[in-house]
Amino acid sequence: MFTSRRDFLNRSGMGIGSVALSWLMQREQTFARPVSGKAESFDLLPKQPFERPKAQAMISMFMQGGPSHIDLMDPKPLLEKFAGKPFPGKIKYDNAAQASSTVLACPWKYSRCGESGMEISELLPHLQGIADDITIIRSMTTGVNNHGQSIHSLNTGRVTPGNPALGAWLSYGLGNQTDELPAFMVLKDPRGLPVEGVRNWSNGWLPSLYQGTVVRSKEPRIANLDAPPHLKGEPQKRYLSYLDQLNRQHLDQHPGELELEARISSYELAAKMQTAAKDALDISGESKATKQLYGIDDPATEEFGTRCLIARRLVERGVRFVQLFTKNQYWDHHGTIRKRLPESCQYIDQPAAALVQDLKGRGLLDTTLVHWGGEMGRLPVIQNDTGPDKVGRDHNTYGFSMWLAGGGVRGGHIHGATDEWGHHAVLDKVTHHDYHATLLHLFGLDANKLRFKRNGLPVGLIPPSDSGEVIRAILKS
Amino acid sequence: MRRFIVKGGENGAAIVPGDLTKSLLHQQLIKGEMPPEDKHLKAEEIALIGQWIAAGAPTLRDEPENLSGFTITEEERNFWSLRPVKSPPLPKIKHREQVKTAIDTFLLAKLEKSGHNFNPTADKTTLIRRLSYDLTGLPPSPVEITTFLSDQQPGAYERLVDRLLASEHFGERWARHWLDVAGYSDSEGYTARDTVRNWSWKYRDYIVQAFNHNLPFDQFIREQLAGDEMVKSPYKNLSPEQQSKLAATGFLRMAPDGTGSGPDDQKIARNQVVADTIQIVSTSLLGTTMMCAQCHNHRYDPIPQSDYYSMRAVFEPAFDLVHWKNPASRRVSLYTDQNKADAAKVEKKAKVMNDARLKLETKYVNEVVEIEIAKLPKEIQNPIRIARNTEEKKRNEAQQLLLKDNPRIKKASGGSLYLYNRKASDEIKKLAADIKAVRDTKPPLNYIRAMWEKPGAKPPLTHLFNRGDHQQPKETVPPAGLTVLGEWGAGAIPDNNPDLASTGRRLAYAEKLTNGKHPLVSRVLINRFWSHLFGQGIVTTLGDFGTLGTLPTHPELLDWMAADFSSHGWDFKRSLKQMLMSAAYRQSSDRKADLNQIDPQNHLIGRMSVRRLDAESIRDSVLVMSEKFNPKLYGPPVPVMEDEVGQIVVGKENKDGEGKPGETLGLDNQEFRRSLYIQARRSRPLAVLQSFDRPDMVETNCTERNSSTVAPQALMLMNSQFITDFSIHMAKRLQREHPADLDAQIKFAWNLIYGRPASTAEASDALSFIENEQRILPAAAAVAKSAKPAKGKTATPTPDLATLSLATFCQALLSSNEFLYLN
Repeated sequence: MFTSRRDFLNRSGMGIGSVALSWLMQREQTFARPVSGKAESFDLLPKQPFERPKAQAMISMFMQGGPSHIDLMDPKPLLEKFAGKPFPGKIKYDNAAQASSTVLACPWKYSRCGESGMEISELLPHLQGIADDITIIRSMTTGVNNHGQSIHSLNTGRVTPGNPALGAWLSYGLGNQTDELPAFMVLKDPRGLPVEGVRNWSNGWLPSLYQGTVVRSKEPRIANLDAPPHLKGEPQKRYLSYLDQLNRQHLDQHPGELELEARISSYELAAKMQTAAKDALDISGESKATKQLYGIDDPATEEFGTRCLIARRLVERGVRFVQLFTKNQYWDHHGTIRKRLPESCQYIDQPAAALVQDLKGRGLLDTTLVHWGGEMGRLPVIQNDTGPDKVGRDHNTYGFSMWLAGGGVRGGHIHGATDEWGHHAVLDKVTHHDYHATLLHLFGLDANKLRFKRNGLPVGLIPPSDSGEVIRAILKS
Repeated sequence: MRRFIVKGGENGAAIVPGDLTKSLLHQQLIKGEMPPEDKHLKAEEIALIGQWIAAGAPTLRDEPENLSGFTITEEERNFWSLRPVKSPPLPKIKHREQVKTAIDTFLLAKLEKSGHNFNPTADKTTLIRRLSYDLTGLPPSPVEITTFLSDQQPGAYERLVDRLLASEHFGERWARHWLDVAGYSDSEGYTARDTVRNWSWKYRDYIVQAFNHNLPFDQFIREQLAGDEMVKSPYKNLSPEQQSKLAATGFLRMAPDGTGSGPDDQKIARNQVVADTIQIVSTSLLGTTMMCAQCHNHRYDPIPQSDYYSMRAVFEPAFDLVHWKNPASRRVSLYTDQNKADAAKVEKKAKVMNDARLKLETKYVNEVVEIEIAKLPKEIQNPIRIARNTEEKKRNEAQQLLLKDNPRIKKASGGSLYLYNRKASDEIKKLAADIKAVRDTKPPLNYIRAMWEKPGAKPPLTHLFNRGDHQQPKETVPPAGLTVLGEWGAGAIPDNNPDLASTGRRLAYAEKLTNGKHPLVSRVLINRFWSHLFGQGIVTTLGDFGTLGTLPTHPELLDWMAADFSSHGWDFKRSLKQMLMSAAYRQSSDRKADLNQIDPQNHLIGRMSVRRLDAESIRDSVLVMSEKFNPKLYGPPVPVMEDEVGQIVVGKENKDGEGKPGETLGLDNQEFRRSLYIQARRSRPLAVLQSFDRPDMVETNCTERNSSTVAPQALMLMNSQFITDFSIHMAKRLQREHPADLDAQIKFAWNLIYGRPASTAEASDALSFIENEQRILPAAAAVAKSAKPAKGKTATPTPDLATLSLATFCQALLSSNEFLYLN
């Protein structure tokens, strides 16, 4: 007996193609079928990737604002030597105005963790505990030194707003593994949206079918899941089928209107979500131990822990891409970093590590790519030099860190390095394009082949003027 | 800089103009030594550099001598949106028979280049639906449709346009567009408390009136930026016109504002209000992302940081961060001297009545006390009487004890009189009610939430803030418009206008914005109007006409319309009518296969775009179609509350101390008013509107609405209380109008919701759906009946099966694309 579709995929050891096929055959008749006589039609049916995939789902924990890599996962002993002294080289400030050239050493201790002995800061004790499951990329760079552009680069491959997000691309390229939940789901911070707001889960110029569905930050997490009492069951089924008939007759008269099609699909999905989403979002059946693992028993970690646990439940049920955001500029520690960075770390550390552990325990980690990181790191020098508790660090998109786990990525591995100051990535630089090429590769896709016809031109996640390389070194052999 | 390249570094000159072999840079490029590491230039790139050196390394023009400060290049100055608006001549075109207004020639010129032209005119049922929603946000009624269809005289279309432009619902619809960019809200936001913002609605009403009366748009802008500077202070005995000018300044009071609700840092909160206001003004009127220059020079547009603070200087005297006005005190009382005198008269009368009431109450209390005392043993009767009559603080221990032992004597008071003597208490209550009734005859308190400067105050200095940090003020900056616009922009603004009680800065600024020369204002506005009719702007980034925005698809058309607008008295309805009368607007929405291939997003406008109804239109239509609609205009917002599952619905909050809902409070049909009038609280967006992309204004303002297609919308239309309630209302209306005739009910529903007659097949499909539904509903309805009503809710009687099945049919139509989209 398989407990979930994902479980079935894992245990049966089949490639997604054959699973998709068998699943398609048993699928109900009501699912959106391409309307005949049309050039293009879009749906969320599972698609055959180009190659055998490692990852089938992804959870991205986006730490908006830019966590200080120097203080968290990229130790720089040289900074201690130069602490309080002027930085000898050139610094790329976001803006020179509040900048100083005084070096700020990391105020926290690092220790060697796991078998690999990778160094992680004491601010992330739980991450220390899963060191052997993660790859830290210490040589990330986007090169655009502000939040909006950098988050767009990492999330859409382009600096400008209005382009499709990663989740939209994956949904477009691979479809969904369930027809009962959206392919792309967003769990936002109840305290606020990240910088650039809803643009972060936009379908951009992909059909609107691929846009992210936001889960409310409090109960009911998805509203209106219950049918009205008088329509429960058969009456609502008939209502939906009558509605479908109306919509299809209307669509016949408006060929090529993709949005009309997307709305038809949205009803099909909604009907299935009525039971599936309710079940997926209800964590009451989770064991006490699991809740403790995620820190749901502790007010400090309850909120993020709950979201991480929901994320696991969603991918377990076949959702392709789940993204969690922290609130606007939560990690943007221009000042008072000594106080605020530990607070931010406490908020996410236990839940984030628990997510990896839990996925691993359920045999889902191998097929689920987990990402943790922000849109930038921070500078080795002081910003706002007006007293020890006031100091902070300015933006740094020239060299910063993020970590990945599962989904075909090595464990206990460090990739790349910044210079001895932590300012610029110098060894095995990873651009956002490289990161995208790699994650598409993990999903069995090819960044050079996944294309959508926009205004008659085939374009992909990586813009035509740029290129990205798969980072082979972080792939599990 | 060429001179630095020629000068070179430690190894000598990098290039020798005209001599490739002596040019070190070129030699290294060829050898692959440059750039270092593993990056290489392509051969054609190296060749290009070679060509440049060989040609003597020319530069486009002389390079500047001095690099300090912020330089604006010629290219930046010449960016299309920063050049003056010039009305271009009409282009020559082939398909002259398709031209209905000048607008069409510009569009056709471009279409023809790719071998295309306009779609044929849409049919009349499509046109009336399109026009009604675009101009009023409401569906055409079946009668209106019949009238239009039967008007076969020439000019029928124009007559319809004129009728709709004159409708009072027109102002409501177009006000909503403006309120989006202005960031209208009925709450303060910023902190979790999200305090209600009283009187905000006066600004909303001003906007509705301005659109309905077709206030010239230049005046409309001037009033919003500086209405207070047009009214003589002190603001007393204000005429309606003066009131309206003050209400207009609500525009500058729209930003989220936490300064009155206990923000973490008061100074940061104040600065944020100013910053958000600048964002609202610059995105709505200038199409400029001014806010990007708050902390540093704008990265992409030629806007130095000092420009940001110069704009701030225009508004600084009104905000005055030192003498900050708390949100609650930003109101101008509309009480006239006559009102005050009337109120005083009423109060005097009330006081006399109240004194008499108190006297009588004391008498009754004393009476009951005496009755109680009489019940006590003789020896303590006098001591307890004395104790009671002694002031509480002065009572000695024995007296206190005595009273404590006799609570019926201690506690007797006006408030507890009813426990002793019901009749006396009722008499007192009646008197109190009479007094209240008298007090209620005072003229009601009435305020305007406005922006104004303290008369005669010394204007505060505006400093450039290092990194945007208010704790690091640097040099002072004068009030001024954008530097890059030079003489075309607002330019320098006088520090102070001695003829006014205020500094006059905003008035001067507003006049410059609307003098017809400003390159941005008229373009930005026309583009916005256009987008509301065509589904996308000529510049698709409505709030960003800078380098990160998109280029105009039809720059000449945009300029022609912008010039026409400002040179014809900024007559908004006139410009709108021009667009509406165009052949472009009247086209059908069919996609032609070949044009669709090259222009799937309809940038060429070779068809009308299919557009989804916006959130308000969806809700308001449902109200109209179910005949529940309350068309009242203006006034305080209708409250919203959380329902038992935490969704925000229309209603009066009625929760007990533990947060449990009490009985539903009546709203006297207020719940059926247009969405525009429903309280827009940032933290409590009405669920049905929010799910269809109505902005909640947590992010200051909304320059462009999203139009999403997600499953939660489907769930809203399948399952929400809103949709089931109104489907039942609608079914009852159908039954009222066509009793016992299901066929007629179906046909009427079709006309109501789709605005067209049902075909025979459609009507018979509907009939069999309803009959089937009626057959299977009993079981489900029985379950519904037996279900216990939610706590605190009274069970509503379940409608009969005929009504329920008809309602489900209505719900299907309301959930369908033909209703949700405009062709």
